[in-house]
Formats: sequence, C-alpha cells, structure tokens
Amino acid sequence: MKLNRRKLLRRGWELGGTLLGVSLGWTAFEALRPLAGTGAGGRIALGDPADFKPGTATYFTEGRLWLVNANGHYFALSQRCPHLGCRVPFCKSSGRFECPCHGSVFDIGGEYVQGPAPRGMDRFDLRLDNGTLVVDTGTLVPGPDHGKQDFLTPPLGPPCITRS
Amino acid sequence: MDERDAGQEALEPDVYPAPRGLWQRVRRSEVWRSAFRHPQLDTPRGRALQSFSNLFLHVYPVKVPGRVLRFRYSWRLGYILAVLFAILYLTGIYLMFFYTPSVASAYGDMQQLRTGIGFGQLVRNVHRWSAHLMVLVVVLHLARVFFAGAYKRPRQFNWVLGVGLLVATLGLSFSGYLLPWDQLSYWAVTVGTNLVNYVPAVGRILRDLLLGGAQIGQATLLRFYALHVVVLPVALTVLLALHVWRVRKDGFAVRQPTGGAFAEQATELPPPPVPVAAGGAGGGTGDGGQRVRLLGVVDRQSVTAEERRVDDTVFTWPHLLVRHVVVGLATSAVVLTLGVAFAAPLRGLANPELTPEPSKAPWYFVGLQELLSHVDPLVAGVLIPTGTILGLALLPYLDRNPATEARSRKVAVLLFATLLAVATVLTVVGTFFRGPGWRFVPPWRHLYVEL
Repeated sequence: MKLNRRKLLRRGWELGGTLLGVSLGWTAFEALRPLAGTGAGGRIALGDPADFKPGTATYFTEGRLWLVNANGHYFALSQRCPHLGCRVPFCKSSGRFECPCHGSVFDIGGEYVQGPAPRGMDRFDLRLDNGTLVVDTGTLVPGPDHGKQDFLTPPLGPPCITRS
Repeated sequence: MDERDAGQEALEPDVYPAPRGLWQRVRRSEVWRSAFRHPQLDTPRGRALQSFSNLFLHVYPVKVPGRVLRFRYSWRLGYILAVLFAILYLTGIYLMFFYTPSVASAYGDMQQLRTGIGFGQLVRNVHRWSAHLMVLVVVLHLARVFFAGAYKRPRQFNWVLGVGLLVATLGLSFSGYLLPWDQLSYWAVTVGTNLVNYVPAVGRILRDLLLGGAQIGQATLLRFYALHVVVLPVALTVLLALHVWRVRKDGFAVRQPTGGAFAEQATELPPPPVPVAAGGAGGGTGDGGQRVRLLGVVDRQSVTAEERRVDDTVFTWPHLLVRHVVVGLATSAVVLTLGVAFAAPLRGLANPELTPEPSKAPWYFVGLQELLSHVDPLVAGVLIPTGTILGLALLPYLDRNPATEARSRKVAVLLFATLLAVATVLTVVGTFFRGPGWRFVPPWRHLYVEL
C-alpha cells in the first residue's frame, strides 16, 4: 500500500489518539485502584490459642473477622458472606454461621452447608507467632468449595434464622 | 388592523408608532429586543422566527407531524423522562447545599435535612420518588419503543443511545442510594456491588475499583458521590441531547399506518401532483382541471426534483409545547403528591457489623438478587445482565425483519414480552415476597419493603 503524506498524517493522528486514550485510561485506573494495605489490611494479634475453646467463634471488630476453633483447627474467617457480602453472624444455638440475607449456612469451620453461597467462608492467613495467633488481614484465601465438610456436625440446636 | 398588518408591525417595530402602556413600551425597548429578537407573533412566519431565535424553543423543530400531538402516539414517556431528569437536577442541587460526602457527617446531614432545613424532607422525598419513577418510566419507554418497532432503520443508533440512557439511569439511581449512609443504603449497596464479584477473573478488581477498597467506606462514599453528582449526570445529559437530536433527525417515532395495537389513524395526505403539459406562455389547464402557469423553461438535467408528499405538519409552538407543559405539570404533581404522602426512608446509622434481615438490593436490582438465589451466580450475576444489555443494544442489528407492526413480528414480540414478564415476576417476588433469610413471606403476613 502506498503511503502518501495525507495517509501518514492520518495514521499519526490515529496512533496518537489511541496512545492518549490508553494512557488516560491507565492513569485513571491507577489513580482509582485502591492501594494495598489501606483499610483493614494489616496484621492483628488475636491472642493465645488456649483462650479459644473448641466449638467457639470469637468476633474481632478491628479485622471484621471470626476466629473459630473447629475441633482444634483454628481459622480466621471473613465476616462477609461469599454470596453477596452480607455479614454472617455465628448462631450459638445451632453452632453454625447463618447468613441473614439469603439463608446460606456454614459449619463451624466456615465450610458450606446449604444456601446460595458459591463456596465456604473466605479465610485470612493465620499463623502462630511466639505462641500468639496472628492474622494477616491483607491475605484473603477463598473459602473451600461445596462438598468439603470436614467439620460438619449435626446442628447443636435450633437455627437463629427462623422459617416464617 | 388585520393579522398581516399586526405581524409586520411587530416584526418592524421601529416604523410603527410607539405602543400604549408600560408593558408594551418595555417590549419595544432596545434592551428587550436585544435579548428577544423576535416578538411574539401569531403568524406562521412569526412562530418560525421565534423558534429559530429562542434557545429553548430551538430544541424543538418549528413544525412537527400532526400525529405527534396524539397522546397515544408515544404516551409522552420520553418527555416525562426529561421532566423527571429536570426535577432530579433541581432537587439534587438543593440537596447538595446541605450534604457532605463523609461517613462522619453524611447521616447527620440527612437527619438535619429532615428536621432543620426548610422543605428539606419534602425535597428529598421528591428527589427519591423522581429517581424511582425515572427507572420505571425508562423501562416503559423502552418497551413502548420496542413494541412499536421504532428501533428499526433508520432509528437503530437512537435505540443504542436509549440503551445507554437506561444504563446511565440505573447507575445514577444506584450511586445515589448509598449517600444517606444508613443501614438501608449501606446493605443495599453491599449486596448490589457484590454482584460484580461474579465477573470471571476481573470481578474482584472491578468491585474494589468501584468501592475504593475491600469494603464500603469513606472512599466508596466519595466515589459514589462524584459519580452521582458529576460523572453520570453529565453522561446522561450528553446522551439525552444526542437522543433528542436523533429523534428529530429520524422523523420522530415510527408511523404505523395500518391496524394493530399501536396503529395510528392514517394521515390524510393530499394526492400527489398530476404531471401536466405546459399550456403555453400564459398558462393553461392540466388534466386535473388545475390552472398552471409556466414560469420559465429550463434544461431538464438542471432540475433536482424531490418526490416528497405534503405532510400534515403543525407548528410546535403552541400545539406540541402546550401539551408538553401539561404533561410536565402532571408529572410534577405526581412526584409532589408522592413526596408529600410517602417519606423517603432513613434507618439507623450504617453499621458494618449488623446486617439487617432481610437485606435487599434496590428494587430494580432485586430481580437479579432473586435470580441469584435460584441460578448459578455466574449465570445470574454476570451472563444474564450483561447478555440482556448487550442483546438490547444489538437488537436493531440482529432483528432483520423490516416490519414494524406487532402482528408481523410475533416471535420478537413474544420473546421481549416474556423477558419483561420474567423480570417483573422476579422483581415482584424479590421485593414483596421475601423475608429474613430470603425465605418466602407473603406480603399480607409481613411486608419487608422499603423504597
């Protein structure tokens, strides 16, 4: 194809416009992208593991998470339901997590039991540091898939969300 | 003085003696005539000049087809939308004077608006009801245009603009939902934004981009505020201007000359001119008995003829304008009545650690929420809404049937009606029949609705 002056100028404008659009888009994305480490994204010391008895769930406001002791296995569970983000409270009477929004139910380990949730409750990275449980709220691991029910036991009692 | 003389007098005021009375003197003054260059004239030429020279009247064409005047022509839905948008603009500007987009003060501002600001609660009610109505009417407008077949050539691009307006309207309404910063808004937006999570690969990035973080907070409120008061209103205004411009360029809504639900009375057009032979320099009588006069003889090739039948056009001012004023007043009366009768809700301060039961998305997204409780999230949360918007935008290019009458496009009408019916049923079930834990609760037992 013969490239004359007119075509060269047109191609130049097109290329310049495309580069400008891409750079503006990228700049906007970088400007609006939340920075890592802001908000609830730091490390939080939760305490001595012995303080958390089996079958209990303790809520930590600063990390918006539940620390659970599931038969000696400790998990730091995000309070957000993996379905649509509602806060999932722990129901003491049934010993399970029950989402008030759409009725998803999770066992003490945050594993899926029933409802529309696509997976179990998401977990934060939890480590034992000098005898203290420390959670990294900047690292969120997606919850276990359907079917994984290592900690599933029959409900201890009636559910908190009653059927109307 | 006859009409013609009156017109001339008004058009050339300097050559006529000064009028009597203060008002007429003001209108004859140089200051007045420098702003309003053409006086109000009840003559065709005067009306045309007024339309051309007036910024607001110039939005309209000078003349419109007579069929446009009929109410059933469009049910004035597009115009009602423009009126609602104008009301939202005005009430929104008022509310901006008393609102700070900060999690520390937003809720307090809303309480202050209810109790300490003159007409604050009423203006907020009107703003909210106008927003709800705008979403409802935009869907009705879309449905009417579809059933009238008005998305087909040459109106394809205007239909695409209309779909853009639908998306912008939903975005405007949704972004405003968070601003009160109460439990209702916080959790409705939580549920609504988490729908984005289901977009494969980039869902989390998109959601974080929208929220400004992993959770709803100050950054979210500021982003939603900027979207609500600047970005989306500007986008909607530009789209609306293009939309109205295309309506004019495309000759208004489609004509339906024959029967059917959206049929119009056929416009009686004068018969096409009968070609007559030149009867000599002084004139003559054609085959139709008409007397014609030969004005000149030109080369056949030099004549550019346009075969265009005379339409029954009428002046926009006053015929269409008066109807628009009436519809505008009626729309304002409706939102004012709703605003007086039903207060916009304001629950307790947003609490990220207490999810209300049930938590519902804004009513126009509740259908999706209902769908999500039955169908795979990827299908319900991503494929269906994205597919619907894309399908609507591409509809004029996919539907190859040139017919506009409903009876000649039964498959398309049936499909669209089914889509509307399913969306309506899902929205009604999600809004009125769902209680705590998203369990089925008939509204006559307990109503879990707050608009």
